[in-house]
Amino acid sequence: MRVGISHLGNLSIMIKAWAQRLGGGLILPPANSQHTLSLGAKYSPEGLCLPFKLSLGNLIEACELGADTLVIASGAGICRLGYYAKTQEQILRDLGYNFEMISLNLSKDRLLGLIKLSKRLSNNASWFRVISALRFGIAKQIAMDKIERVVQKVRAVEQVKGTANRLYAKAIEAIDNADDYHTLKKVQRDYIDQLNHVAKDTQANPLIVGIIGEFYVTLEPFSNLNIESELGKLGVEVRRRTFISAWGKFSFFFNYLGLDEKSKIHKAALPYLKRDVGGDGWETVGEKVLHAKEYDGLIHLAPFTCMPEIVAQNIMSSTKENIPVLTILCDEQMNRTGMLTRLEAFVDLLKSRRRARNNTQHKGR
Amino acid sequence: MEAYIGIDVGSVTTKFAVVDKDGELISHIYLLTQGKPVQMVQQGLTQIKQQLPKEVDICGVATTGSARYLAGVIVGADLVKNEITSHAVATLRHIPEVQTIVEIGGQDSKIIIIRDGIVTDFGMNTVCAAGTGSFLDHQALRLDMSIEEFANQALDSKTPVRIAGRCTVFAESDMIHKQQMGHHIKDILYGLCQALVRNYLNNVGLGKDIRPPVVFQGGVAFNRAIVKALQEELNTEIIVPPHHELMGAIGAALLAHEEMVSSNNGSKFKGFEASEEKYHISSFECKACPNLCEIAQISINGQVLARWGGRCDLWERSPSN
Repeated sequence: MRVGISHLGNLSIMIKAWAQRLGGGLILPPANSQHTLSLGAKYSPEGLCLPFKLSLGNLIEACELGADTLVIASGAGICRLGYYAKTQEQILRDLGYNFEMISLNLSKDRLLGLIKLSKRLSNNASWFRVISALRFGIAKQIAMDKIERVVQKVRAVEQVKGTANRLYAKAIEAIDNADDYHTLKKVQRDYIDQLNHVAKDTQANPLIVGIIGEFYVTLEPFSNLNIESELGKLGVEVRRRTFISAWGKFSFFFNYLGLDEKSKIHKAALPYLKRDVGGDGWETVGEKVLHAKEYDGLIHLAPFTCMPEIVAQNIMSSTKENIPVLTILCDEQMNRTGMLTRLEAFVDLLKSRRRARNNTQHKGR
Repeated sequence: MEAYIGIDVGSVTTKFAVVDKDGELISHIYLLTQGKPVQMVQQGLTQIKQQLPKEVDICGVATTGSARYLAGVIVGADLVKNEITSHAVATLRHIPEVQTIVEIGGQDSKIIIIRDGIVTDFGMNTVCAAGTGSFLDHQALRLDMSIEEFANQALDSKTPVRIAGRCTVFAESDMIHKQQMGHHIKDILYGLCQALVRNYLNNVGLGKDIRPPVVFQGGVAFNRAIVKALQEELNTEIIVPPHHELMGAIGAALLAHEEMVSSNNGSKFKGFEASEEKYHISSFECKACPNLCEIAQISINGQVLARWGGRCDLWERSPSN
């Protein structure tokens, strides 16, 4: 079986490790590129969102590489994601590709669905092999996400801009090549150590900006024109709740125990929004309320035409919690210059706001 | 005499402003960019040199506008600043109590919300440039009239017609439709002004807390018919400051002054001789990955000064190294 998937941030590293331990058979399409986007945009209805177009592009590239089975994430939420697997399947069939299609409803089938899928794709491998493969994949994901959290801090204060990004790229490669837990631990320790020793501007007291919004565009740097790196160049420290490992931890394990990280966020959103509006709209509003006091500003990333995020954007502009929010709509028309102009102006705004706040505090004393 | 230059290279016009150490405007130039930002920056340098008294000493330079990085490389800027901050700085100096800045330029429009002298929110047009100066120019040209005459005729209108302003393509076909039905040109023109103002407020101004005093600046503020339409729509007095078309450049000059006061280094200004240099601009497609980024580069005597346009840092080279 030759299984094709689509990309989401560095998720492919995890899936690769998992598939290798199950005996291979994974067709990994090339990383997201302009070519992927052009393919996806060409064959998608125009009004659909960027995540749809990019993942369709990935699947086309996977089919071209000979994939005969495609795994597509689906959902039963209120947003259009529920229709994506079916729509993408139809488009790919119209293009003449032959494949078996497996839609994976993670929000419903959760961990059990994932394990059953592994059993099926590995020709009924033993339960032990299935679970240990998945465990190793998750370990890699956790290692990558731990390193990325350090990278977000270092980017803001490194003396030579780009150092953290270079180390991060090397770390991902090393994690990809790690074959056992021992190597993986060592790689994680080594790179976090190296990142901590990067020459930093010790005087800097960087602005802190939270990234909120839709899951895919916050996690896939290609779709947001590498916004976190750009903010790092401007000397801003980025914080983000959404990480694949954090999401998996709750969706696959803790939710069974009745622990839900989202309940706190939903509670914060309640005065303004009392229900799920699809996608991540409810969380976006809640995160604004929660972070208003902690962060200097928020950047709200949303795919163009994303209904849940548009609902959230309109609600956010009238909450009493006061923190500047810059909404950036991501689509294939997005241009880098326009985004940089907005980011630079936003950073100037946050700096003068912080200066004014410090001044009033001094006067108060 | 100490002086600071601010250069605003926009898509349609290039503006130079020179201020003294008290921030007073001592000289300015307004040129059409004509798609040649490098030549226009050089031409501006030549002209500004002729205008300035001999004893002037340039102590700092800043660039802004959509070609700010390019202009910064050519003149040796001490500071490269985005348009939003530059506009806000200039307006706050002249009208400290301002709460809303409406800026409509050649290809883009912005709104800047200010409270207690601090920018608290801003917006720029995103997917569509409908309602900016280029479209007005295009309509004036189509009707064979100057942009001044456009404004005068529109101001004469007593019964403006309703024009669909959501998109310039539809606006134009709607204007032609109304004209073929026999409406007066002046009523169509003022109808267009109203449509553009509505479009601006519904897109760029969406969700923004617009409060007076409202200051209107940028090239389109020359058009008194648009000023009137904005005044009617917002139902408040609209202030159009003197030199409203230079605000970006003035802001950059003020920021250059601020930058040089706080830094200990001398200015990186290459001098007015930069207008004599032969800059070479070229571009190529990077084939290192499937992104096929279009990289632009500027060089002088075969030596590359800067490159940009890539998604990654492979070709990026800051002007300083």
